[in-house]
Amino acid sequence: MPLPAVTSSPVLERLREQIGAARAAGGMLRIRGGDSKSWYGNPVPGPVLDVRDYAGVVAYDPAELVITARCGTPLAEIEATIAQNGQMLPFEPPHFGPTATLGGCIAAGLAGPRRAYAGAIRDYVLGVTIMNARGEVMRFGGQVMKNVAGYDVARLMAGSLGTLGVILDVSLRLLPVPVATHSLRFVMDENQAIETLNHWAGKPVPMSASAWHEGELLLRLSGSKAGVQSAIAQLGGDLVADDGSTAYWQALREQTSDFFAPSATALWRIAVPPTTPALALEGAQWLEWGGGLRWWRTPEPAAEIRRVAERAGGHATLFRRGTNTEGGLPAFSSIPGPLAAIQRRLKAVFDPTGIFNPCRIDPRF
Amino acid sequence: MQTRLQQAMRETPEGEEAEAILRKCVHCGFCNATCPTYQILGDELDGPRGRIYLIKQMLEGHATSADTRQHLDRCLTCRNCETTCPAGVQYGRLLETGRRLALKRNPRSLTEQAMRRALAAFLHTGVLFTPVLRLGQVLQAALPAAVADHIPARRPAAGVWPRMTHERKVILLQGCVQPAMAPNINRATARVLDQASIQVLRASAAHCCGAIHQHLDFEAASLADARRNIDAWWPLIEGGAEAIVSNASGCGVALKEYGHRLRNDPHYARKAEQISAMTKDIAEVLEPHAAQLAQEARFPPPAGVAFHPPCTLQHGLQIRGKVEAILAAFGINARLPHDAHLCCGSAGTYSLFQPELSLTLRDEKCRALTQTGATCVATANIGCIAHLQNGTAIPVVHWIEVIDSVLCGTAL
Amino acid sequence: MAQAMTTDAGSHHASALDTPPTSAGAQLRARLLNALQTAVPGCQVLTGEENLAPYETDALPVYRQLPLMVALPDDESQVQGVLRECRRLGVPVVPRGGGTSLSGGATPMPNSLVLSLARLTRVLEVDPLARTATVQPGVRNIRISEVAAPYELYYAPDPSSQIACTIGGNVAENAGGLHCLKYGLTVHNILRVKAISMDGEVLEFGSLAPDAPGLDLLALLIGSEGMFAVVTEITVRLIPKPPVAKLVLASFDDVETAGDAVAAIIGEGIIPAGLEMMDKPAIAAVEAFVHAGYDQEAAALLLCEADGNREEVAEEVARICAVLQRHEVRDVQVSSNEAERLKWWSGRKNALPAAGRLAPDYFCMDGSIPRRAIGKLLKRIQGMEEVYGLQCLNVFHAGDGNLHPLILFDGNDADQLRRAEDFGADILERCVELGGTITGEHGVGIEKLNSMCVQFTPAERETFLAIKRAFDPAGLLNADKGIPTHARCAEYGHMHVSGGRLPFPDIERF
Repeated sequence: MPLPAVTSSPVLERLREQIGAARAAGGMLRIRGGDSKSWYGNPVPGPVLDVRDYAGVVAYDPAELVITARCGTPLAEIEATIAQNGQMLPFEPPHFGPTATLGGCIAAGLAGPRRAYAGAIRDYVLGVTIMNARGEVMRFGGQVMKNVAGYDVARLMAGSLGTLGVILDVSLRLLPVPVATHSLRFVMDENQAIETLNHWAGKPVPMSASAWHEGELLLRLSGSKAGVQSAIAQLGGDLVADDGSTAYWQALREQTSDFFAPSATALWRIAVPPTTPALALEGAQWLEWGGGLRWWRTPEPAAEIRRVAERAGGHATLFRRGTNTEGGLPAFSSIPGPLAAIQRRLKAVFDPTGIFNPCRIDPRF
Repeated sequence: MQTRLQQAMRETPEGEEAEAILRKCVHCGFCNATCPTYQILGDELDGPRGRIYLIKQMLEGHATSADTRQHLDRCLTCRNCETTCPAGVQYGRLLETGRRLALKRNPRSLTEQAMRRALAAFLHTGVLFTPVLRLGQVLQAALPAAVADHIPARRPAAGVWPRMTHERKVILLQGCVQPAMAPNINRATARVLDQASIQVLRASAAHCCGAIHQHLDFEAASLADARRNIDAWWPLIEGGAEAIVSNASGCGVALKEYGHRLRNDPHYARKAEQISAMTKDIAEVLEPHAAQLAQEARFPPPAGVAFHPPCTLQHGLQIRGKVEAILAAFGINARLPHDAHLCCGSAGTYSLFQPELSLTLRDEKCRALTQTGATCVATANIGCIAHLQNGTAIPVVHWIEVIDSVLCGTAL
Repeated sequence: MAQAMTTDAGSHHASALDTPPTSAGAQLRARLLNALQTAVPGCQVLTGEENLAPYETDALPVYRQLPLMVALPDDESQVQGVLRECRRLGVPVVPRGGGTSLSGGATPMPNSLVLSLARLTRVLEVDPLARTATVQPGVRNIRISEVAAPYELYYAPDPSSQIACTIGGNVAENAGGLHCLKYGLTVHNILRVKAISMDGEVLEFGSLAPDAPGLDLLALLIGSEGMFAVVTEITVRLIPKPPVAKLVLASFDDVETAGDAVAAIIGEGIIPAGLEMMDKPAIAAVEAFVHAGYDQEAAALLLCEADGNREEVAEEVARICAVLQRHEVRDVQVSSNEAERLKWWSGRKNALPAAGRLAPDYFCMDGSIPRRAIGKLLKRIQGMEEVYGLQCLNVFHAGDGNLHPLILFDGNDADQLRRAEDFGADILERCVELGGTITGEHGVGIEKLNSMCVQFTPAERETFLAIKRAFDPAGLLNADKGIPTHARCAEYGHMHVSGGRLPFPDIERF
């Protein structure tokens, strides 16, 4: 049976009321779940719309490899539930704190180390229920893997940072946890690492994560026992003890190592085509995702960082502001003109008066 | 597919057949993917699905102009689409009807008709064709490129015809242009079959299979060709010949169609059907003997042979992989070019009427053949041999000549 | 399905050809022709009923509509020129690739220009290190894997029509295929798309980097059925070819057991590269074409593929076979070589058009449901065969829960056509009821517009319509596809009321 369409409940009524009031007053709202990622994106003015109490797993049938849960459900709870059945969220989302919720995870659209090899959040979003600025509850997508009925609004929600509406619930595709996982360590310089990672990615090697930092390349292999063993034999390198390896990837995913600790210098997230050679920037770097993601601690001016990223065919995000970072610096690279116009119109489809998280993505809407 | 044929049309045997074919088509478009002209021109009207639709429009009584005829003319009749079609649409048959209809509705200009008539006469009678061909070959260097490009190169000497008699006998369709253009092919065929203890008979009254007349719109003359051949072969068949062997796959396809094309002729229908049933490509005759013969091969197999399967072989006769297997039995690993399923652009008289498309396909095929690194191209149809040879310096031969070279030491 | 076609979408139905062009249409045609000849002189244009008729339909030939004109641009700048002129004159545009849509995605709209992308067939770049290929939209799906093959890479999504369908069309429809379970749909395998808006503006969606700033418009564009922009350049992700692939062919005595086996394989934590199923009539139809050696006595056939390195595949095949043995399998075979594997697949890939051997016409449904409901739905379909008096074959992507019931009928018989349409709509509504969707990979097109009224509420449909306006404010690009108007849904609701049923009472009626 289809999931019953919940269009009314005390929590939904409260949300609807708050939204209605904001709308009537010409105001705005900052949608907030666990408040674990409020630093991400541009600062949002306005009172908080707390969605934590719209929580709980709505449906989970392990044999279908799909879970549907409400936005306020703690991410940790979801991961624990599916882990009991040997399943995982393939995009390994960072929590950035114990309070992280599913809704926040989807809205932020951030993925972890497995991203380059398993796909982004939007690749696993099957369906969403949202509440728009008129308080209407709408469902897009569904619980099935293949679905092209109507436009793919569900995937659009991933990374929309709450600008299009309140994500009420989400259906996600899951994958079985790989039977075997081991990590290898190699010593090589940055350009060699980039070249090697891209080369391996073109071979049938069961990679599930990669990172390079200060002359050291780490590679995680996941898959069947036979597949991982033969890759280890083929690639060489030093096998990392399992404890150390788990801790390494966890620290990278949650950004708990010293490199990522709060600092005077901003932390930049630079996304580039994976084959891009070492970027000409000053400072320290942690490279991930087969070369596609470069974390930088750099004193260089924002304009220069963005110029370097854009010249490489990518973009730069001011991920964490440093104590020295000038205020008012936009978090994201500018969206090209014609696309910005479409995005502004899209925002208006869901939120014509600009109630939800205004400016969070772009100061223009 | 839905059809709404005109009542008058539906009541003819031709209309009935056309409707049955049309209704099998589900319009999926798979055929366009392997259609050479669609791949070049990218227009629905120049692919099988569009042509089927144009024919449907005619049969349904919609107005047509010379445009429809032109799009049907552009078809190579390679029948690649029939191999691709999951629904089993007999496109070739439908096209024949379509072309006839289009021609009736929008006849060709008088000049064009005259040209076709002259060409038919020229190609059809060895009396004219052979000396002109020889003269052309001599003068080739002095002729303008456009003309010189169509003159087939002089080919290796033909060798001898075997004299042995055997209990098993087959009739060889000698063809019309082949004996003049590549005299060695028929002899090589006879020598190889002789080695397999099969005697090759010839009927001197038999001549062109009828394809040339058919290509040039001379339906009645084409059927006359068929009847003449049947009459010429019949005594030999009654004398115990077990098959009619064709070593030109284009002619083989034409013989296979005798039964269908003469089905309404009370005098010839039965005989034609038997002729079609008895027609075999040389590959089919040789296949059971390949392993045995290979043991008797005294000469080293040539290296670097590429095989171009003619459309009439792989799509018309639906013989795929047999020639390669025979060559392999003789230790010859024939390389297939990329997109081996595509036509080389020869297609009977097509190269004369659609030079641009024909040359595009030829050059593409020659490029693919060259890419295999081959030093010799083997194929199975005289039209392809002549057409390809004008586009490449690599020698192009009939594959039976390759076998003959290994068995009898004839130079390639 | 499409009964209401004649009411608000013009005369899409079989009688289209009999409708003479209006004088307004003739005037518009003259103005457009003049404009195109002036502004885009190099672009070939087709006019006249004779030449337009073959463009009046796609791979769903029961719906037909003559366009005003067909344009066959050779390059991106001509595409842009044609779009600008059509925008200026208010002429609707229907983009077309290989014309293999099973939902009418490339069927012309009344008084529209068909914009064929079939001549944009260049492979612009293959970058083996970055594992990308950049191609024009008219490149056929399978061609991409062919050009990537020398680097031991390939493009994963493989719709059954992959020899003929174009990558531009795949992007428009978010095409699926036989290996989606493990390798994803089109949306998972496209990195960047260059497209031209109805206004003639060049837009770039996505990036070669892992993401792009702002909303993920690429995800929204893919599967938008050519209604947002005309795609002119696509960069796809290539993946390494697995060194070994083995196909397990299993036959069953009844369809439900086979369905259970599918669920059990997934439940075991196995993600096969492909997991496909065919029922008895479908087996018979394709066997006549490919001679794959399928078990003709079986009620259902399961094709389950394992790929990876040798050891991996051996391990997975053993696990798959063990599950199958627990599910009363009649017979299990494992492909012994590549030729055999491809032969077995070829039967499945040709299954749809092979139905043309059994009946002159078919509707190919595309419902998607949770895997656990497969058996239940198949039972329901069997019952419907009797109700509607028509035969139905079933071919499906079992692993994805995506079913392709093929309803056989004779389009020359108006009553059969009507019954076939009702049968199809009935199946799709059961899919929605079972928690699924009316289309998994073929798109809504014109075929499933009515069923969209069942799956979505008015507010949801209004959101879709508004999104369409955000991309194409003038509403000219393939505008009558994909999303039904409110008026259409109201009318569809009325029809159901008059039939004595009211399956969606919540629908707003105008």
